[in-house]
Amino acid sequence: MSADIDVVSETAVQPLSVDMRRLTRVGSRPGFLDYLVRLWDFRQFIFYDARARVQSGTRRDRLGSAWLLLNPIFNGLTYYLIFGLLLQTSGGIENFVGYLVVGIFVFQFSSGAITAGARSIRNNKSVVQAFNFPRAALPIGANVRELLAAVPLILAMLLIVVVLPPSEKITWLWLLVVPAVLLQAIFNLGVGLILARMISRVHDVTHLIPFALRVWMYGSAIFYTYDRFVTQPQILSAIKLNPLFNVIDIIRDCVLYARVPQWQSWAILAAWALGALAVGLVYFWKGEESYGRG
Amino acid sequence: MGVDEQEIYIEGHPCVVVDCVRMRYSVASSESSAPDVNGTGPRFLRRAVRKPNMVTVHALNELSLVVERGESVGIIGRNGSGKSTLMKIISGQSKPTSGAVYASSTPIMLGVNAALVQDLSGDQNVILGCLAMGMSRAEAGERFDSIVELSGLEKSIHLPMKSYSSGMASRLRFAIAAAVDPEILLVDEALNTGDAQFADRSKLRMNELRAQAGCVFLVSHSLETISDMCTRVVWLDKGDLIMDGEPDVAIKAYQEFTRLLSKGNDDSALKILEEAKAVLVATEVRERSSRRVRG
Repeated sequence: MSADIDVVSETAVQPLSVDMRRLTRVGSRPGFLDYLVRLWDFRQFIFYDARARVQSGTRRDRLGSAWLLLNPIFNGLTYYLIFGLLLQTSGGIENFVGYLVVGIFVFQFSSGAITAGARSIRNNKSVVQAFNFPRAALPIGANVRELLAAVPLILAMLLIVVVLPPSEKITWLWLLVVPAVLLQAIFNLGVGLILARMISRVHDVTHLIPFALRVWMYGSAIFYTYDRFVTQPQILSAIKLNPLFNVIDIIRDCVLYARVPQWQSWAILAAWALGALAVGLVYFWKGEESYGRG
Repeated sequence: MGVDEQEIYIEGHPCVVVDCVRMRYSVASSESSAPDVNGTGPRFLRRAVRKPNMVTVHALNELSLVVERGESVGIIGRNGSGKSTLMKIISGQSKPTSGAVYASSTPIMLGVNAALVQDLSGDQNVILGCLAMGMSRAEAGERFDSIVELSGLEKSIHLPMKSYSSGMASRLRFAIAAAVDPEILLVDEALNTGDAQFADRSKLRMNELRAQAGCVFLVSHSLETISDMCTRVVWLDKGDLIMDGEPDVAIKAYQEFTRLLSKGNDDSALKILEEAKAVLVATEVRERSSRRVRG
């Protein structure tokens, strides 16, 4: 251990022989597997945090939790006015209202969850500084919260599809919405973990997220059909590799068109979800010692 | 250097080892820097991307301490002497610029700075705080009543945190942080929080915690509290270690130092600093089991 004490050169130094075997460095990052175990130990913290914040999220609005539904509905109306009525991008799409509603509701879940996950470390800096817990608990909590909030959202989406003409019939295929949304949630978490570390280092990234999400939304075939790019194979294949387009496509197939989604869509979605989660966890864990400091 | 080469052999396992810790901040100063005349590009562009004048602050100079089980260490010094910086480093809230702190278990900081979630109600914050400290939901439920009682918030516990006065919020923070029985306890001015009634209750709880804790670090401007509670006093000034030893000796020197300063007698005050530094024996940590890799 270094012995240079540069306070005052003539200060006497007393060496102390210390047995350090039982001591651990304060704030040190555990191994990756230990980290996952610790996260599991904090599962009750994660769920309590998520549940408490779902309830309090819209408390200051007069309509309260109704905004969880009103928000995507107004969004849908806006896009319907602009793209359905004014720009007529609906050409050739069967049940355009349903097509639009599924696209917007499902995309909104991802954009909300990714934004919340990305900001979870910055917004909870005080909690991070006050307590010692594995920091990944915060982005995970934010994503659990968004998933809980998405349940009424998805139910409302299905209700709209059933009620608005042409009313779709409920089939056993509707059950496939559950695994699709779960894979989507895993993908959101992975992206959120990556962004959370980036934002904790360089805060400027927050300003870029809304733009990136908007580009992403326009690339996810929400208010047009990807058939219009049939003549441009590069754009077409880019859209088909887009994980969010795949979620939306799977849910549209199940809910609107009563056809079994292609296995390729599931494969692409699952690969993105698990890949993002693996990369996100490792990348976030590597920065564990830096969060909330400085 | 006049070093006594005789190593002191510390029996057993110490609670906290602060090893060559140093803290520096780089902050933007509003003092204008010299304009760069040689820069290229339009002036407004250069102004937009110009780095502010950065100044390095030496918050804490190299410091080593070994604290054994059963010790209560009081940290004294003027404002800006590095007391809170040292506490933050020991508790793991800030990472030292160089050096490291080793501890036998996670140190818990009891203070008024442990902020909570503004949007949630007091009772939700209590449960959340307990869970964040690693308790199970059942344990948190068991401690709930005693936390609310200690905070003295009564019915207000069900209101959102943002409706609390700063005194109420800091009482709740203290009560939550005091719910665990830590082996290594850090206290930063917590006793000065709230009204007289709360001060009594919190002092009682503090005494309980101190009795159970393996070792205690205490920062307070109240020298009376320090001399009541501590078995060892560390005096810091402008980031330098000035004294490390018996409470009576250190507190007496510090009192004399501040008395001279307040009279404007800076030269005599400096002399006290110099004298204390001259007899100071700094610690150098030597690891006994050399096989263990550091870090």
